[in-house]
Amino acid sequence: MATRLTLSFTLNGAVRSFETDPNERLLDLLRREGLKGAKAGCREGVCGACTVLLDSRAVYSCLLPVCLADGHRVTTVEGIGDQADPHPIQKALVDAGAVQCGFCIPGIVVSAKALLDESARPDDEEICEKMDGNLCRCTGYEKTFAAIKAVLAARQSLDDEGASHG
Amino acid sequence: MRIGAVKRPATPEQARDLAREHGAQALYLAGATSLHFLTDASQKLGKEAKRPIDKNLGKEAKRPIDKKVAILLDRLDLRGISDDGRRYCIGAMTSLAELMNFRAQRWAFHETVRRTATHQIRNISTIGGNICRVFPWCDLPVALLALDAQMLLLGEERYSLSADDFFASQPARRLANGDLLLYVELPPLAAHMGFGYRKEVVTLSGFSLMTVAVRLCLEQGAISSARVAAGGALPFPRRLSQVEDLLVGRPAAPDTFVAAAEGVQGIPWKGREDWSDAYTLQVAKVAVHDALQRALDFAQRRN
Repeated sequence: MATRLTLSFTLNGAVRSFETDPNERLLDLLRREGLKGAKAGCREGVCGACTVLLDSRAVYSCLLPVCLADGHRVTTVEGIGDQADPHPIQKALVDAGAVQCGFCIPGIVVSAKALLDESARPDDEEICEKMDGNLCRCTGYEKTFAAIKAVLAARQSLDDEGASHG
Repeated sequence: MRIGAVKRPATPEQARDLAREHGAQALYLAGATSLHFLTDASQKLGKEAKRPIDKNLGKEAKRPIDKKVAILLDRLDLRGISDDGRRYCIGAMTSLAELMNFRAQRWAFHETVRRTATHQIRNISTIGGNICRVFPWCDLPVALLALDAQMLLLGEERYSLSADDFFASQPARRLANGDLLLYVELPPLAAHMGFGYRKEVVTLSGFSLMTVAVRLCLEQGAISSARVAAGGALPFPRRLSQVEDLLVGRPAAPDTFVAAAEGVQGIPWKGREDWSDAYTLQVAKVAVHDALQRALDFAQRRN
């Protein structure tokens, strides 16, 4: 009989328990649970389509054995925003025309959110370094980059407005 | 190889004892990114594992699947970087992202880490996991050889190994008895020292095709000591003693670096990605030369 492992972690804000094969990768568990936002692209830690947040860090769910998620917080693209209430980076990606075939976009949303949460004012080099794990074969990255810059510019305007009123 | 059971010790001593209890079946897991290279194709595709195929017989072999006891190290208090003035002490469970973000005046290791893998990998991969199972394309061992690192390990008691000894052969084999890497210690780069690093890749986040790291000590314009290491285009990372011999005692100048780069001849380079032997040798010369020049620039910028 196959070995089973019982584990629990916080998935998109809700504590969940799972009984699973210890060899299973987090990506497969998530998709089995109906969270299909993380995509099975390369399955070898290259393309970034499967990116999720482990606590606040962007990681490849295709490489992560489920046992390493035990006790942590996992956030998928479904936990970041949806059509009714999109995260600013989701709206910015649409506005910038960064979404074409869309396969890479869930991973890009997650990585960009992690970047925006980690750094108040990342420079261009930091944006490139922290988005280097997401491949896009449609847009050539320019529009993704523009979307991130747009969110940063909007954030800066809000800060300036707050300062002028302060 | 498959994981048959999972253990999660709270202390390094418990981890070591578990590893010894399970012997050859024990498998330490840190960030687990290298697990990808150790598992069979069916697992990577998210399918149930099949028995390994015996290539000679052309059918499923009768030998059992190798089931490991995974010993997760993520609860061990081995994370972070401290500086006591004499050395930087890096916990083995420190992620590459933490190393990349760390800055100090006498520290240059982030230059290597920021050119290693992608951000998602750097977030989860640890220095300990990266250097205890060395693949030909690993960058960190090359830099640690050049920077004269020391490894602090737990066996029966704690003991130290120089980077030269640690990387003399595959560390995973050396640690098969359950010994556990606790810390990596880096000597600070003194004012008269320079560090240079050069990595050749197809894409920025790609596996190394050639990595060279250099630490030079300068005294009154001359090179008093040199540590030069390479990897990527070698079966295993190593020091380039032939190059070092062409540097020590000579002036830190372009002519010296050109001559020293010729010292890469005779080293058994093994190019990947269809690199020819002649091309690999040429890339090695260029990479060594550039890393030397960068080490000199580094030292001059600080003085």
